[in-house]
Parts: sequence; structure tokens; C-alpha cells
Amino acid sequence: MLQPELVPLDEDCSSGRGGEEEEEEGNPFIFTPQLIHLHRDHELFEDGDIHRHLYLQDLYVSGAEDQPALRVSEFACHISGCSAAFVSLEEYEHHYNSLHRNVCCSCRRSLPSARLLDLHLQEWHDSLFAILALRQDMYQCLVEGCGQKFRTSTLRKDHLIRIHMYPPDFRFDKTKKETRTRQTKKRPQKDTDMEVVDDVCESEGVCEVMCDMPSNQPELGDTMETQAGEEEAARMAKSASPEEHVHLPAAAPSSENTSTVPPRPRYTYRIPATVCFGHSSVRGFRGGRGKRK
Amino acid sequence: MWRLNKVRHKAGRQCDSLEALKLKRREHEKALRQARRDRQLVSKRLLLNDDEDLPQVTMDTNSGEQDVVSLFLKLQHSGPEREAHLRTLSKVLRDPSAQLTFIKQENSMHLLVGFLTGSDATCRLQAVRCLHELSHSSHTNVSPACLPATPYLLTYLSGQSTKFTELCLYTLGNLCPDSDIVKEKLLAQGIIPALANCLENQSHNLAVVEAVGFTLSQFLQAKDAAEKIILAVLDSSLPSNLLSVLYPDPKFGLAPAIECAWCLHYLTCSMKDNRVLLAHGALLQCSSLIVSLGSAVAEGNKEEGMELFICPLLRCMGNLLSSCPGNDLSTQVGDVGIVVALCALLQAYLQTQPALARESAWVLNNLTAHSSAFCSALLDLNLVPGLIQLLPFSQGINTMILRILANIAHKKKEFCAQLAHRGLLSALCATLKMADQEMVTLSMDVLYMLVVSGPQVAEEFVRQGGLSLLEAIQYSSEGEIRRRATHLLEDQLVSYSSYCSDNNPCSSGNREASHVQL
Repeated sequence: MLQPELVPLDEDCSSGRGGEEEEEEGNPFIFTPQLIHLHRDHELFEDGDIHRHLYLQDLYVSGAEDQPALRVSEFACHISGCSAAFVSLEEYEHHYNSLHRNVCCSCRRSLPSARLLDLHLQEWHDSLFAILALRQDMYQCLVEGCGQKFRTSTLRKDHLIRIHMYPPDFRFDKTKKETRTRQTKKRPQKDTDMEVVDDVCESEGVCEVMCDMPSNQPELGDTMETQAGEEEAARMAKSASPEEHVHLPAAAPSSENTSTVPPRPRYTYRIPATVCFGHSSVRGFRGGRGKRK
Repeated sequence: MWRLNKVRHKAGRQCDSLEALKLKRREHEKALRQARRDRQLVSKRLLLNDDEDLPQVTMDTNSGEQDVVSLFLKLQHSGPEREAHLRTLSKVLRDPSAQLTFIKQENSMHLLVGFLTGSDATCRLQAVRCLHELSHSSHTNVSPACLPATPYLLTYLSGQSTKFTELCLYTLGNLCPDSDIVKEKLLAQGIIPALANCLENQSHNLAVVEAVGFTLSQFLQAKDAAEKIILAVLDSSLPSNLLSVLYPDPKFGLAPAIECAWCLHYLTCSMKDNRVLLAHGALLQCSSLIVSLGSAVAEGNKEEGMELFICPLLRCMGNLLSSCPGNDLSTQVGDVGIVVALCALLQAYLQTQPALARESAWVLNNLTAHSSAFCSALLDLNLVPGLIQLLPFSQGINTMILRILANIAHKKKEFCAQLAHRGLLSALCATLKMADQEMVTLSMDVLYMLVVSGPQVAEEFVRQGGLSLLEAIQYSSEGEIRRRATHLLEDQLVSYSSYCSDNNPCSSGNREASHVQL
């Protein structure tokens, strides 16, 4: 990588920007224009030197095919712990939208769409929902536009099978069974690993989402409700495409981060406070893992 | 190419099929790269005889060695056939094992020096040819054996015979890299002043100019004695004379200018302070040359081998700029049209020689670092969109281009608005997703400058879905990147956080309600 040699600036080279923007407290943006001096052996000069000596040695051919090829930058998923890399922006977007966008922070599941995430949140992590469900039909049909509601998830499942011809083992409608309590140790120790949420349900292919949410969000009731004693249940992760291979170990992603300070979660308006976009480990992502440069 | 038929290296001697040649070149290239990494990158040049247009077939080694011995014996007796024997010897000495055999013969060098300094001019010429063949040897113990001849070779540099002078020069240039002892001796014997005088007196003679350039460049590439040699060179008349012969000759071609340009590059990259060369107007000259080369390239007139000339010129310019005081820039560089030429070179060589494109970008960085005038020129001459289109390309190209754009943004808020207007924001939305951490960090710095420049830019960024992008970036494993993303979201864009991004249309606003109560 290019290591610029800082050349001391002239005093009267002050730019149009006033000095007050340079030294803001806690301002992490450090860019300043730099004069770069390259010494003779710098790696930036390698190709040119080689051509020069090929010429001296009578081997130079202008425009030869074996010139070093021009390369395009790869894209890589930002989410800490996810080391997927992509050749094109479209691939990146697809990856991100499929796996990181609709993530439930409580149980770290990645859901394929905003709507399914909403339903998941309601049905799994909303205590108010649980209360209301005792008396009303709360379980919505998964098919958009159908609008029907059911008293239990089983009834909904029946409906899906009978009316909408869904397979009995539809991956995005598993009932929440008893989950075993998850221990911290089982998850990878990462610096951004914050509050351990005990109600995490293990499932295959789930993207492990590291949540750094503040522990008690009084507004939306507790995720605590769905804790201890529950077993792993629905496989609401991953896409619905049949060729996606599902059996993936939900084990440790490689621990890549070095910092110990996790960011404060940011929420867009539609996400309740207990949910955030999380980090994911992507194992067996379609197309295999690229190496992050 | 122009002079390559006359000046050859043994590597190119064999006449092979195209495939074999390609393979050989690739292997050679690999060897050269490794040599460079070991800082052992040296080359020698062989000046062919006038009657030698075709590459030589390698001779049978046994007969070569025997011929050397017998020739040597014959030469020890005076007689009219000496000249013929010397000529034959020079041909025989092209063979490496014959070279070794020769220097092992007792008093062989003494004999050669005798002919070199004798009264017979033709014998002198043949003797120097023998020495030249010896100097081209890849065996490192051949050069020290030639040391007795060097004072005479140096003396002859002030002579008038072109071919003879050329041979002396290339011989000296070949001897230089082989051992430090040889180098020390040559320096002590005054090679730098001798080269300076030669160039001064023979600047009309382009073949000699090329040879001086080559020989000087051999010395300037020396690892250790760099300081001593370079200071001596800067003290002499060499800098101004090198600059004066920097113009390509329409008949003779680029070769002499190429050699001199490389000398200048070795000078500028070794010194942090290039005041002497700046005082000679080196920057102005390089700059005007690049302008004419850039326009030639833009018109499609790419003379063969032009990149061998453009490369050292760019490097000179880049390093001279780093020593140039900011307020002096316009006088030293000339008018802002240089940026057009540099962008033309960038585009023209992007696919074929990305390294050259990268070096052009580096020069642009140094031009724009502390000059509003050059930044403004890039904007006014509508060169920025072309630069933005280069942001996908890796291996140092996009980082350098982004630095240029950052330099522009850093100058004035008005520049930021113009940059945003020309598509930099959407480009940043892509570069922020790259795997290269340096690109991401730099992108964040540029984004910051754009966003603080005015509310319209911030709004536009948000409209392009920037908020969710930054939110995702907050989960990066790199602390530096996280901090920047957080800062932008919390300090700069906080007033926009109620806006919707493209993926979360405001129209489904009832969703929020559905969470809260039913």
C-alpha cells in the first residue's frame, strides 16, 4: 500500500477552509491534502522500472499482452464478522438485502422480507401480542393480500397448506417450540458481543447477529418473556429458494474486529427499539465466501 | 524501434518464434521483478557492430575458448595481422566462456590496454570493442579485470570519434554495476566530470548523448554511493545539459531523451529537496513536455515506446512537485493546461499500462494538494466526471483518484457542491462498500467534507439512501470506519434521520402503529 511521505506544508498554503474545522473535538475525519514523495524503490514504481529494464535488455514490446491487467476493486460486506466479498455492486446489494437487512436483534434471525420480520417480531417478541392472542385472532396469514387471521399458529399453518397450497414444512412458518437456554460461551467471543439475550433461538442457517442494544427497553415490553425454556423453533432465516442449502452450522464466524467499542444502534423508523440491523456471519452463502482483501 | 537494432542486450539476441519470445520475456520479467525486490536490478547494453544487423548465433564454446588462447598468442607477436586478430578476438569474446578464458590468460589485459593506447587507431577501435564485449559479461569477476583500462577509457571521452566514444561510454556504463570496487575507482578517476564534459561538448551528437545518459543512469542507480554521486552530479553542468537534450528528435528518435529522463528521475527521487533542479527549470520543462505528449496521446499519436519517456517525466514531475513551495507553483509549472494532459494520459494508459495511469494520478494529487487553481481547473475543464469513472479500478488507482477529489473538496465549499453536482455522491455510495479499507476510510472523509459543505448536499445524500448505508457501516470491524459513520449519523445527518431511505418508503408508515398497539 502506498505510504505517503508527509512533506511539511508551507505556512501560506492554507486552503479556503478556515482553521476551525480542522481541530474539532472528537472529529474523526483526518484527511488533509498531502504532497507525496516517492523514493526510488517504492512499489508504485515497480512496473515502470521493469519496463525500463526490459527495454534496456532489448525485450520491450510496446503494448504487449502480458502487461499487468487492470483490476477492479472488490466489494465486501461491512458487517463485522461477515467476510463475504463480491465482484459487483449488485451482488453486494443482494447479499446485504437478503441477509442483513431484516434481522431480528432479539433472536438474531435474518428474515427475507420486512413483512416477515414484522410478523416475526409480533409473534415472537411482543408480549402484548401474546396477551391479545389469548382472546383474538392474531396470527396473520403469511400470504400478502389474504388478510385472514387465526387464533393459533397451527390454524394458520393449516390455512396455508389447504388454501394457499404451501408445503407442510414451509421454512418461514415454524412454530416456536421450547428453546433451550443458550449459553454465552457457545457464541463466538467477539468484542462487539454485548448484552447476551437469553432467548436466542438457535437454528440452522441463522445469521448470527450481534446486538449491542441497551438491555432494557421498557417501551416495547420484554423480550425476556420469550426466554428460558424455549427451544429452537422456526427457521426463519435465509431465503425461500429451494436450492439454497440449509444445513449450516450456526457456529463462530471468524473474529475479525479489534475494537472493543460497539456502536450505538441506529434505527430506522419502522424498527422497534429492541431490534437492530445486526452483524452476521454468513456461512455457506450462495457462491461461497470471498476473501476480503 | 529506433536504436534497438544498434544497441542490444544478449537476452534479445536469439531469433526465436513469437511464442518462444513471449515466454522468454515473461520469464525475464519475473526475474527482473525479483531482482528489483532484492534491489539488484541492473542491466547492461551491447553496442553492435555496424555490419551486425542480425542477431548472432551462439558459437560453439569449445572453439571459442581455443580461439581465445590462440589469438592471444598471436597477438603477442607484433605484425600487420594484429588488426585482423583483434577483430576476430572481439567476435570471439562475445561468448561468455571465452571471456573467462581470456581474463585468465596472464597479461591479457595488459596486452589489450597496450593496443587501446597505441598509435594504431584501428587497433584502438578493435581493442575497445574487445573491452566492450568483456564489459557485457554477466560474470562479476570479469569487470574488475578490466580496471586497468578505465583511466584511458575516461580520457577518451573527450575525444571526437563518435563510434569510439560510444564504445567507451557503454563499456564504462556496463562496468559500473558489477562491483563496488569498480565504482569507487571510476568515481575516483573522475567519471562524473568526464561525463559532464562529454555531454557538454557533444550534445549535438545524439548517439553520444544516449550513451552518456545510459552510463550516468547506471551510476545514479547505485544503492549506497547515491548521496556522494548525486551531489557531485548536481554540482556539475549535468543537470542543465540533461534538461537541454530532453526534447525528442524527429529523426533520431526518443532514445537519448529517454536516457536523460531516467537520469533526471534517479536524481529527483533520491533527494527530498530538489531545489537545484527546480532552479534549473526542471519542473517547467517536464511540465511542458508532458503537455505536448498528453495532447499527442489524446490525438491517438502514440509513438512506439513513448511510455518509456513519459514514465520518467511523470516521476520527475511528481517528485519535483513535492519539493516545490506552494506559492511558486504557477511559475514552476506553467498554466493549468497540464491537468488536461495528465487526465488524457490517465485515460489513454488505463488499460494498457495501469502503472502509468497510477503515476499520472499521483502527479495530479501533488498538483492539487495545495493549489486551488489546479483544483478549480479540474472542475472548470470538466475533467471530474472522467476521474469519477475511474473509481472502480484498484491497485492504487482509485485511492489516488479519491485523494485528488478529496484535495478539491478540501479547498472550498463551493467546490464540494460542484463535486456533488457531478456525481461524486453516488460514486461514494459505491466506494463505501468496497473491500479496500483505505478506500472506505477515504470515502468517509470525502463524504464528510461534502456533507458539511451545505444542506443540499446532505439532503441529496440522504435521498440516495445514504443513511441506511451509514447504519450498515456502523457495524464494520474497523474502529476508524465505525467512528466516522457514527459521527456522520449523529452529528451531521441527525436532522435527516426522520427521512425515509429509498428502501423504506414512507407510505407504509402504519407499520409503526401496528407494533405498538393492536
